[in-house]
Amino acid sequence: MKIITIIFQIAILYAFSFIGNVLHDLFNLPIPGSIIGMLLLLVGLSLKIIPVRFIEAGVGFLLKYLSLLFIPAMLGIMNHPSLLSFKGSLLVVITVISTMITMGAAGLMSQFLEKREQLRKEKEKCSKHYSQSL
Amino acid sequence: MQQTLFAITVILGTIAVYVLMNRLYVRFTFPLLVPVLTTTIILIILLSILHIPYSSYMVGGQWIHSLLGPAVVALAYPLYKQRHIVVSYWFPIICGVFVGLITGMISVLLFARVLGIDQTLILSMLPKSLTTPVALQVSEVLGGIPPMTTIFVMIAGFTGVIIGPAFMKRLRINSSLGKGIAFGSASHALGTAKSAEYGEFTLSMSSVSMTLSAILGSIIGPIVAWLITM
Repeated sequence: MKIITIIFQIAILYAFSFIGNVLHDLFNLPIPGSIIGMLLLLVGLSLKIIPVRFIEAGVGFLLKYLSLLFIPAMLGIMNHPSLLSFKGSLLVVITVISTMITMGAAGLMSQFLEKREQLRKEKEKCSKHYSQSL
Repeated sequence: MQQTLFAITVILGTIAVYVLMNRLYVRFTFPLLVPVLTTTIILIILLSILHIPYSSYMVGGQWIHSLLGPAVVALAYPLYKQRHIVVSYWFPIICGVFVGLITGMISVLLFARVLGIDQTLILSMLPKSLTTPVALQVSEVLGGIPPMTTIFVMIAGFTGVIIGPAFMKRLRINSSLGKGIAFGSASHALGTAKSAEYGEFTLSMSSVSMTLSAILGSIIGPIVAWLITM
């Protein structure tokens, strides 16, 4: 029974992705269809048009096995043996280093701003006790 | 009929190898044993031994691949569940993702220029930190080679999953928010899948940044590409 629920709910998610793709093609949007579908579902959930229980099981299933879904795309590497050459390995090294830079920059920046915001909130809490200015 | 049977075999075979590799990973939790990597290697070896070309594999593989669309849609749910936290941290999230995108693209550009990599390859590398379905479309718009882009996207994903945790420890990125945003903006959905190991908050931060990265990336990508032609 649970499997039927999951399949049905994945079909609902699929429909969102489909609608997203249609909108993408129709209006020539730069944002991909699946992302548009996600934003639509987010709006639907927020406005309570779509009850959480309609998608919960399907979402849980897909996200649990998310990495399985990449495998067919990964195997595409078979068609590009040139990546194993010297020039190919250079590209791999660039990608790895650049990814680490991205990771470090994004992580440090957001952590720094998070800490600063927390400090500010604490200060605000303290100053509220003393003054009513602003 | 025969083709249907072959497709089903491919699907079940892929799932079987994945389940086995997942067990192995749960048992040893060694970073190089992440199921996507081990499953891919084993399947490539199997396909080469059996002389099955990629296009034949995809007869069945496309069914698994087609679930990527609904999986991206599914990310709306963790986002919705954590919406209050997301709204209250909107500033660090947006800044983190933006800085990540810019440094990622500019660093590719600089390294590739210094090493004399040709333009189409640079263009294929630019969207590497975006989620696969988005990266493919961005690569096409920029004039790159989409299948090549998939591979760079995967490498970016694996870098985050394998090296990421130790690297972030080194840089003292230890808040759940920082980790989530780092995973999501550098390693898209693979990083997001990994970030689930750090709890639901990190997972939703990662999926927020992955989504935001995809949206912003499809806008910033063409601007950076324009810089190349200068």
